[in-house]
Amino acid sequence: MPKVIYVGDDGTEYAVDAVVGESVMAAAVKNGVPGIVGECGGNASCATCHVWVREEFGPAVGPPGDLEEDVLDLAVSERRGGSRLSCQITVGPGLDGLTVDVPPVQP
Amino acid sequence: MLRQDINELLTRTGPGTPMGELFRQYWIPACLAEELSENDCPPIRLKLLSERLIAFRDSHGRYGLIDEFCAHRGASLWFGRNEEGGLRCPYHGWKYDVTGQCVEVPSEADNSSFCQNVKLTAYPLVKIGDVLWTHMGDPAKRPPLPEFEFALVPPEQTYTSKRLQECNWLQAFEGGIDSSHVTWLHSGGLKSDPLFKGAKGNEYNQKDTKPFFEVVDSDGGLYVGARRNAEDGKYYWRITPWVMPSFTMVPPRGDHPIHGHFWIPIDDENCWVYSFDYHPVRALTAVERQAMIEGHGVHSENIPGTYRPVANRDNDYLMDREKQRTGEWYSGVKGIAIQDASVQESMGPIVDRTKERLVPADAGIIKARQKLRKAAIALRDHGITPPGVDPAHHRVRSAAVVLPHAQDFLDAVKDDVRVRPGVPISSV
Repeated sequence: MPKVIYVGDDGTEYAVDAVVGESVMAAAVKNGVPGIVGECGGNASCATCHVWVREEFGPAVGPPGDLEEDVLDLAVSERRGGSRLSCQITVGPGLDGLTVDVPPVQP
Repeated sequence: MLRQDINELLTRTGPGTPMGELFRQYWIPACLAEELSENDCPPIRLKLLSERLIAFRDSHGRYGLIDEFCAHRGASLWFGRNEEGGLRCPYHGWKYDVTGQCVEVPSEADNSSFCQNVKLTAYPLVKIGDVLWTHMGDPAKRPPLPEFEFALVPPEQTYTSKRLQECNWLQAFEGGIDSSHVTWLHSGGLKSDPLFKGAKGNEYNQKDTKPFFEVVDSDGGLYVGARRNAEDGKYYWRITPWVMPSFTMVPPRGDHPIHGHFWIPIDDENCWVYSFDYHPVRALTAVERQAMIEGHGVHSENIPGTYRPVANRDNDYLMDREKQRTGEWYSGVKGIAIQDASVQESMGPIVDRTKERLVPADAGIIKARQKLRKAAIALRDHGITPPGVDPAHHRVRSAAVVLPHAQDFLDAVKDDVRVRPGVPISSV
């Protein structure tokens, strides 16, 4: 199982064994990672699963989709280079060790 | 949700605001032609984009839209006398023509040139169809006149009404690109309204309450496609075009006239809703026109002599709980227009979008906000002319079609969603 690491605002790390094919948001919600809400259920509509993907994983994760791009612009409190909606990142074998930072507040 | 700073950006349209400047790039409806029905008729007060203005029609039939207040000491020219080719302030007799130029200051000596140096802010006012249009931006960047089909078809084929809506323009406009509320809020009307009922498409609307949205860019704005299940192997698509900044068309139903709206800010907490119905290839029937005048369809029954609806927030929109219980009017409020007004005004003068919870069915709204934001910033920072200014962008139509599952909707309807003179609308 690929491991996904969520780093909270205070530096606390939450390492989760994720199932291949599920989203980084779903893996967090199932395992009770604080700060990832996923209110709209994974449809890139609500922005409550925003994360900052660590730079070294940027190429493997890829860029945001079309609607996701709009939602990142309109809704998240601090958009950075690594900003993604974690519901739009699918866990795969190539993402083992993926590390993302969780913003202090979600919309 | 929407960040508060972006909500501010999109909802404020006064002079000097980014969104206000965006609106000032376009020809927009200023009033209905019926409000200035003959030469030398009484002037009307108008507030547009937070500017207080006076519209009048002079002795020669020329239309003018000028600053409401006399340059002398600020009296409202609504009290003015519209006579002999101009509007005369009743206080001391200063007189203005339709360009805002002061043409007479009676207290001055006969050979004085004082009045030549007095000119009020003025905007053009041009009749196209049933609407008087204005452009409130830089005259040097004034685009060609608008070419919306509802305003260009012969008079017997079109009807336009307007009503006051007591909330910010954006939340009113967002209803116009939100197809998913029709199944709920307007469900009673699909069965009974003379301007909607009987279309095959209504059945698809009622049966599938979970539309899937596909939103694609157009030259002037967006096409919002709402997909519902139809017969085996087919989808029912309703396609709503939006032309920036605030023109939308409702997808058609059967051979009923096609309708749509223009949402124009009065100030930041009120807007005019222009509602039109037209048929591209035939005259409206007497029965259809009468229904529109009576406030059916997208139109409203207004307090005589005003454009405020009879059912308004002061009387709880004449809410009828019995009709709500039976489902004749799903919300208990009568009529499509007032159903929209009631819920949109209930959100407050400017809804706090940081508290909203959007779902996939709101994709059109998300896309439209982003497009408005980008256009307002591109104009502010780089002077880039926004989409929808070019009259070629105005020649769009809505459509309602049934397509096989595998077919791409925009590819299938690319001819249906543009104006084709003499060709009927594509509708089921």
